[in-house]
Amino acid sequence: MSLVTRNVLIALLITVALAGTVAYAVNYLNNARIAELSTMEDQLSIDIISLDTQFSLLSSAPCESIASSTMLMSDLSDLGNRLSYAEGQLGTDNAQVVRLKEQYSLIEIRDYMLTKQIAKACGTKPVTVLYFYSNAGDCADCDKAGYALSYLRTTYPTLRVYSFDYNLDLGALKTLIALNKIKAPLPAFVINGKHYNGFTTLADLEKQFPKGALATSTKAIAR
Amino acid sequence: MGLDALTYPFIFLAIFFEAFVLVTLLSKPARSARGRGPVEETPSVAIIVPCWNEEATIAATCESLLALDYPADKLEIILVDDGSTDATPAAMAPFAERPQVRIIRKENGGKHTALNAGIAATSAEFIGCLDADSFVAPDALREIIPCFASERVAAVTAAMAVHRPGNLIQHMQHAEYAFGITIRHTMASINGLYVTPGPFSFYRHSTLKELGEFLHGHQTEDMEMALRIQRAGYEIENAPRALVYTKSPDTVLKLIKQRTRWTSGFLRNIFGEYRDLVGNRRYGVLGMLVLPTAIISIWSSILLFSYAIFTLAQSIVTAIQVRMGIPLSYIFLPHRSFDMFYVPVNFFIILGLATLLASLSLIVIGKRLSRMPGPLGVGILSYTFLYGLIAPLWLIRSTADVTLGKSRDWRW
Repeated sequence: MSLVTRNVLIALLITVALAGTVAYAVNYLNNARIAELSTMEDQLSIDIISLDTQFSLLSSAPCESIASSTMLMSDLSDLGNRLSYAEGQLGTDNAQVVRLKEQYSLIEIRDYMLTKQIAKACGTKPVTVLYFYSNAGDCADCDKAGYALSYLRTTYPTLRVYSFDYNLDLGALKTLIALNKIKAPLPAFVINGKHYNGFTTLADLEKQFPKGALATSTKAIAR
Repeated sequence: MGLDALTYPFIFLAIFFEAFVLVTLLSKPARSARGRGPVEETPSVAIIVPCWNEEATIAATCESLLALDYPADKLEIILVDDGSTDATPAAMAPFAERPQVRIIRKENGGKHTALNAGIAATSAEFIGCLDADSFVAPDALREIIPCFASERVAAVTAAMAVHRPGNLIQHMQHAEYAFGITIRHTMASINGLYVTPGPFSFYRHSTLKELGEFLHGHQTEDMEMALRIQRAGYEIENAPRALVYTKSPDTVLKLIKQRTRWTSGFLRNIFGEYRDLVGNRRYGVLGMLVLPTAIISIWSSILLFSYAIFTLAQSIVTAIQVRMGIPLSYIFLPHRSFDMFYVPVNFFIILGLATLLASLSLIVIGKRLSRMPGPLGVGILSYTFLYGLIAPLWLIRSTADVTLGKSRDWRW
């Protein structure tokens, strides 16, 4: 074997080994990301069940659980951001991402129901937004709507935004869609029970909120 | 499959090539070449300096040649004024009195004709060429001569460095030249060189007589001659410690112009008169690896650059569209603290970084091999951040020129 042939083979081996190592490392890191998300979801599930139980136990003073509910929203929002990032990295078709999104949607629905229960029992007036988007290429304005909602959520901490992938094959989500009579075109919003479809500008979206709902004060919830 | 997957083969090829260079660098032929010391023999040598309007640099170039550590009676310096229209003749005049120096004046006919005029005027055993904007280290010739030990060696190249890099563009080229020193040294050890650059390349006179005069060679007479040498079955060696400093373009536009000439010359030679060398086993590593890799690397650089520009433009447009109507105070403020979770780690980025790291290693190796003085930090930084943005521009321009049959002026 000539020197050049030998060197070509060694270089090829190094290249394959390097590419293989990188592929393994990237896969490992992605799995670590998924595991982190999964752990967060498990913790959130426990927190929600705990809140639910706390709400039931404190039948004489159910509003004690409001503070916990507000804290959960921030965790939920953080998990949503991470999940969205993981989806961008791993692809919308990734089985693990889809599974995590299903779990996330369930947690969101559970939190939404609990928020409504607390509002009824304690007389609070939370502003909730159900936001339905699609990654199937049929929603040109979903990115804009998502960013506008992120802005609103950051600016108005009392706002409770629940994002759902309209095309996710999940029974509970389909029921939520059916109950709220959500239809195309997407994006679709349900802002405190009021329906709104499409997205043009932030200003137009803000007009859909109840008067005084978009205030930076947390007075409405914190007693 | 995403569009980025199309770029994987090219990144794979880049890593393979760099790995091949590193492995070959550690192989016996390259190690032996590095161990080669100066010899006592001092065969007769003529160094030809073709000049066309070089009034600013010719005197310093000539002084550096006169300072070479070589017996004066064995060293002939031939300054060929190729019909200069500036004060080059006056700048040359003081050297006419030096016994080693001969001045030839002719009508302007191009660099190759100036070289031919110089060759015709000497009977020295070895003939060197030096561009009139380059300056040699005193021991450079002593490093060159031992490389001609084998009769099969028809030419020897030197180690090029940038003369007094001033701005970022020149520092970038300084690092690039150091990279080139490693590549040239490595490829010479397996006879894979396809260019004998204007700054201080040497030829065996008898081989030049056999192969014929320098040709226009699509404005790259040095590449054409190197390819002719390879086709004839001779070898081209390299002396990694024979330092020669050359003036470099100081603006992006000048650099693009210079490199467009080099690259289009390469493409025209390779797809023209020397097409038969590409993929031909008879020409060993040059035909089977070096030339195909050089061609693919031009195309892949254009593809990767276009892909990067397309992706970047797409991201910018999307980002602007998405953020339209949102207060600037929100857009430009960070919304979360540093979190490892959001560090973008993917196959493309990691392999790209590996390629860059290997390139930087080759730059550092080049500096050490040649014992090039001076720091290289600014060069490495500017190479890292600028080269990938500028190089594709001359590759695109030269590919377009060759495709459209367009010729450009020689000067940068």
